[in-house]
Amino acid sequence: MSVGQVTLWAAVLLTALAQINAVTWHRDLLKEWQKADADRQQLTQEYSRLVLEKSTLMAHGRIDTLARKRLQMKEPEHTRVFR
Amino acid sequence: MTTTEQHTGGMQRWRFALVLGVFVLLALVVAGRLVMLHTIDQPFLFEQGEKRTVRSEVQPASRGIITDRFGEPLAVSTPVKTLWVNPQQVDPAQLVSVGQKLGINGRELQRRIEKAKRQGRSFYYIKRQVEPELAGDVLSQKIAGLYADEDYRRFYPAAEVTAHTLGLVDIDGHGQEGLELSFDDYLSGKEGSRKVVKDLMGNVIKQLGVTSVAEPGSDLALTIDLRLQYLAYRELKAVVQSHKARAGSAVVLDAKSGEILALVSQPSYNPNNRAALQPENMRNRAIADLIEPGSTMKPFTVAAALEGGRYKPTSPINTAPGYVRIKNKTIRDHRDYGVLDLTGVITKSSNVGVSYLAREMGAETLWEFFGKAGIGRPGTLGFPGEAVGSMPYPEQMDDLRLSTVSFGYGLAVSPLQLAESYTSFVDGCRKHAALLLNQVGQQPCESVMSPKTARQTLDMLETVVSKKGTGQRAAVEGYRVGGKTGTAHKVGRSGYEDSEYTAVFAGLAPLTDPDLILVVVVDEPQGKEYYGGEVAAPVFSRIMEQALRLRQVIPDKPVSDQVLQVAGGAQ
Repeated sequence: MSVGQVTLWAAVLLTALAQINAVTWHRDLLKEWQKADADRQQLTQEYSRLVLEKSTLMAHGRIDTLARKRLQMKEPEHTRVFR
Repeated sequence: MTTTEQHTGGMQRWRFALVLGVFVLLALVVAGRLVMLHTIDQPFLFEQGEKRTVRSEVQPASRGIITDRFGEPLAVSTPVKTLWVNPQQVDPAQLVSVGQKLGINGRELQRRIEKAKRQGRSFYYIKRQVEPELAGDVLSQKIAGLYADEDYRRFYPAAEVTAHTLGLVDIDGHGQEGLELSFDDYLSGKEGSRKVVKDLMGNVIKQLGVTSVAEPGSDLALTIDLRLQYLAYRELKAVVQSHKARAGSAVVLDAKSGEILALVSQPSYNPNNRAALQPENMRNRAIADLIEPGSTMKPFTVAAALEGGRYKPTSPINTAPGYVRIKNKTIRDHRDYGVLDLTGVITKSSNVGVSYLAREMGAETLWEFFGKAGIGRPGTLGFPGEAVGSMPYPEQMDDLRLSTVSFGYGLAVSPLQLAESYTSFVDGCRKHAALLLNQVGQQPCESVMSPKTARQTLDMLETVVSKKGTGQRAAVEGYRVGGKTGTAHKVGRSGYEDSEYTAVFAGLAPLTDPDLILVVVVDEPQGKEYYGGEVAAPVFSRIMEQALRLRQVIPDKPVSDQVLQVAGGAQ
């Protein structure tokens, strides 16, 4: 076998190995991406749940009732001016 | 021996050649087939292979959030799962328990899937928009042929309070009503899609390329103040219930910029529960319904007279004997008020007085003035179903029509347009109502009257809320309030109905430097009370009082000082 043929064979073998490597790498990256995407999904879910929870808890009507009933708060009357 | 040996030897060689030949032939056939598959059949096979493994996956884009002016969420999209099966791959008997978990009739589901299977279908929705936890629970059973897709569901935290303004989306996330409809393109993002290779279990094993990246929709910030919206809704609901009214609406505007701070309608609906929707509850009455404004138009007639220069707030007008006959119709006041000054015409809401002013000015002048104040114009919000007001042209106005127009009959406005026109009393310049935060102040205000006339009219409006006026129940302690009551007979099949009314109150506060404009409309109040001053004015007072406090507006009316002495604090 000539030198040319040997190098050709070597090149073929090397690229074949590189191809295998590249495919594995691609799959690993894809797995990683899929995991990250699932995490993103999870976090968005949690975020929107928290946003909704927060707005329910902070609803004006709810705070108004709590302030009046539980904390016995009142609107300031105009006649109560402290001097 | 030798012959037989030779014979058997020849025989053996022949048989060897035959077997070898057969094998070579077989090898050739195989090779030939291989060549055929790789050359002639290749494109077809490749395509079929792709069809079975390569999938185009759609990635839904999340819809933009709608917030109030302070960033409080009014409409939020949350990720959910949509469950579907491939009836060809699934064992219908397994779905019975799935159905029960999702709250569907399991047997019924099994029957349907079996039917779909016989029909050769390969896609069937089990349930759409399932909460992620529940979907995860169902998926963990690892039933073959059961799949889940990403999806979004719209939630409205303030539910019925903001329902009419926001509208709602259908199950596919497209706007159906209200802002969700008019800003559908802006709110909805662009779906992404990518090409992937999937294995038999439906797992992605290779990504071939991204066709388009999902772009989330843009967010929308409204001028609405959720706190004011809540309290306006609460008070409106209370009055509609206590007077057994058919409907009602209230509009709160920022007096200086025209921003819509609250926009509520009754009856309402819960947009989070689409199953119970009733179309008649979905009308945004503050924007889509036209009302005859009745006496709430009188301030404009009087302002037009002041603007003409021939009248002053103190000019006397004789309204005796309390009625006037025009073209066989009698226009009446409640009673004979005798000689009133211009202010008194507003205070007592004298129909005779404004008719007199209108006939003095003429149709042309009044029409022009009302037009500048925005009466009879189309709405500018770009809201679906926005009402177009109506106003007769001067040529259409005979003496009778002119008189009725002067006290608000024979023309039509939406409650929002009425509020918008009342902004003209602030510095004499009419502001454009804005519902989106980035639209505020885009259009300059339109000059309607001189600031002096505007101020004089405001002072007149204050007398309406005083002890001798028709709207004293609209008063707010600590603030100078001005406004006008209105009671319009509703139009029925045969002209105006005797016992069906629309009660209206439109007003501003505090008068020293107006901050808020509020219009309250109660449609068909039942019972003994039906006047604007009896039904709408108390609601006005309650909403205004709380709204002014929430916005921390400084009281401008000195209250009779009852000083509480604090122990040790005496001078």
